[in-house]
Amino acid sequence: MSNRRHLQSEPLDLMQLLEETRDPASGALVVFSGTVRNHHAGKGVVRLEYSAHRALVEQVLAELEQEVIERFGVQQCRIVHREGTLDIGDDSVLVVVRSAHRPQAFEAARYAIDTLKVRAPVWKREHYSDGSVDYQEGVPLQQADLEN
Amino acid sequence: MINVQFYGVLQELAGAQTLSHPLEAPMPVAEVLEQLQARLPALASHLPRLACAVDDRIVPRSHTVAPGATLALLPPVSGG
Repeated sequence: MSNRRHLQSEPLDLMQLLEETRDPASGALVVFSGTVRNHHAGKGVVRLEYSAHRALVEQVLAELEQEVIERFGVQQCRIVHREGTLDIGDDSVLVVVRSAHRPQAFEAARYAIDTLKVRAPVWKREHYSDGSVDYQEGVPLQQADLEN
Repeated sequence: MINVQFYGVLQELAGAQTLSHPLEAPMPVAEVLEQLQARLPALASHLPRLACAVDDRIVPRSHTVAPGATLALLPPVSGG
């Protein structure tokens, strides 16, 4: 468990995650992939740069996997995020959930990606087709133990 | 002295990924942020939406930071 990584600079490997989570008690598999698209807010996007607070991302996503497993009663949950420069069509994040039945798998995967977006200290910098570059506005970090 | 780390858009504002900030005695994060704002006025508009981590742990602004610590300033996030 502890040697599973949650942030990586090399391309994400879905097949490896499927192998890692293989589970005979699970009849449902849901995969969510966040994929770099070529537009944002009406502007053409040519590539993205993701940066992260590495130690915190590892901790936050490991805790989120465990929370998803307990909260939804699913068998397996793996979440891996990419850092570095990504091209259009590259996967920026993969969520893999396996459970006995499909309703929990869909709900758990949705919760995992929605929660990642407000808890994981990751920042997206967009390179636009007009040559400009900007950080996305983002959402203030939310954390269970964040008091203010 | 503490080590201050800037993330995301804050790196552009600060013009650096890290800086050393003088701190001789333990002090609440909120007060350190005020000092940093005086040093880097461009931080001001971002302060209300910042989260802070001390030594790789998210902390409230009432948390006391001690000399030698690393304070990370985490702007609104945009992962996924």
